[in-house]
Amino acid sequence: MFSRYSYSIIAVVIFVSMLIPLSILSGFIFTEPFFIFHVTEASSFSFVLIIGVSVMSAIVIPMNVYRIKTLQKSTSKIGGSVIGSIIGASAGICSCGPIGFSIISTFGTVAGTAAAFLTNYEIPLRIGSIALLCLVYYTTTRSISSECKIS
Amino acid sequence: MDKRFLVVIAFIVLVTVVAITFSSYYFTLLEMQQYRPGMSEQSLDINLKNGSPVLGSENAPVTIIEFGDYQCEACYHWFHNTRADIIDNYIETGKAKLVFVDLPFLGRDSIVAAQATYCAEDQGKYWDYHNTLYNFQEEIDNGWASKDRLIAFAFNLDMNLDEFSDCLDTAKYNKRVKANYDEAVKQGAQGTPTFIIIAPDGSTTKIAGPQPYSAFVKVMSPLTSAVQIEQP
Repeated sequence: MFSRYSYSIIAVVIFVSMLIPLSILSGFIFTEPFFIFHVTEASSFSFVLIIGVSVMSAIVIPMNVYRIKTLQKSTSKIGGSVIGSIIGASAGICSCGPIGFSIISTFGTVAGTAAAFLTNYEIPLRIGSIALLCLVYYTTTRSISSECKIS
Repeated sequence: MDKRFLVVIAFIVLVTVVAITFSSYYFTLLEMQQYRPGMSEQSLDINLKNGSPVLGSENAPVTIIEFGDYQCEACYHWFHNTRADIIDNYIETGKAKLVFVDLPFLGRDSIVAAQATYCAEDQGKYWDYHNTLYNFQEEIDNGWASKDRLIAFAFNLDMNLDEFSDCLDTAKYNKRVKANYDEAVKQGAQGTPTFIIIAPDGSTTKIAGPQPYSAFVKVMSPLTSAVQIEQP
């Protein structure tokens, strides 16, 4: 499937469009006043998880697009992959940065509680989202190989 | 209920939340641009009278303003990874001074913690208390900065507990913390930590986020190398 350029391009676009914004929002890439990439020893695990979420999303989402488009199968699995990606992406980004500040100052206490949850459980949520994406990958791979089998 | 209906509802809610958040962020940016175009290169009128006491020499040519929240993990990382080098090389050498301005937005305990630092200032221990909070920071609103814990921190710093508790109970510095929050927003802080470096000529540079020491050196070296430093 990834031998087709279009799916490889989708994968690369998803990977880059997740990794860079998440790195900026999580404080690994700074753009003002200079461009700086900085990962401290304490936050290296968090950065590894961001890479994990981005890689898994970049693999699983194009696979499901292929499954729906080529094999005309149901959309249930892509739902799982999108949810996994959203959880992985939203965990941690609502903390001290501009997104968290905007959400909390716009929506008040309820948003503050939600943002605190996403911040406090950033690592377990990201691990959970990677696990969900791995599960979707496993079921999608099985589904594609059985549906594509020539009997 | 129909599964598709739930998915559609969830999608609409998600889109609405994203749209409101984005528009709020966008309009704040727009307001700030109207308030002072080209912020990074122009002189700003920053009101620091409600902020922390000055750390370092009052006569230091460069001023570093930190907008922070005591429950912010990024502030914690900056405090433990970068701040010590700035203190050693810029504050203690008289090249710069540091002022902390509260931007408590992350949780209910953020505001009380900020008020507690000014109660500590009443007893001459602002910076000791500030450092204690960043050394003992835990998860947002999990009780680490509850009133009892704040009093326990004061006890560890040999402060007068009756005076400190009274200050907290009466929310003596509620307005001061609110004024700091408003000032931070007015200066364009969109998260914590945000720094504004004020050069000797009054021009400013904004550093957003818990940036490494090298970023501060890049901004501050040209500012401090040209001026005569009066040793503190």
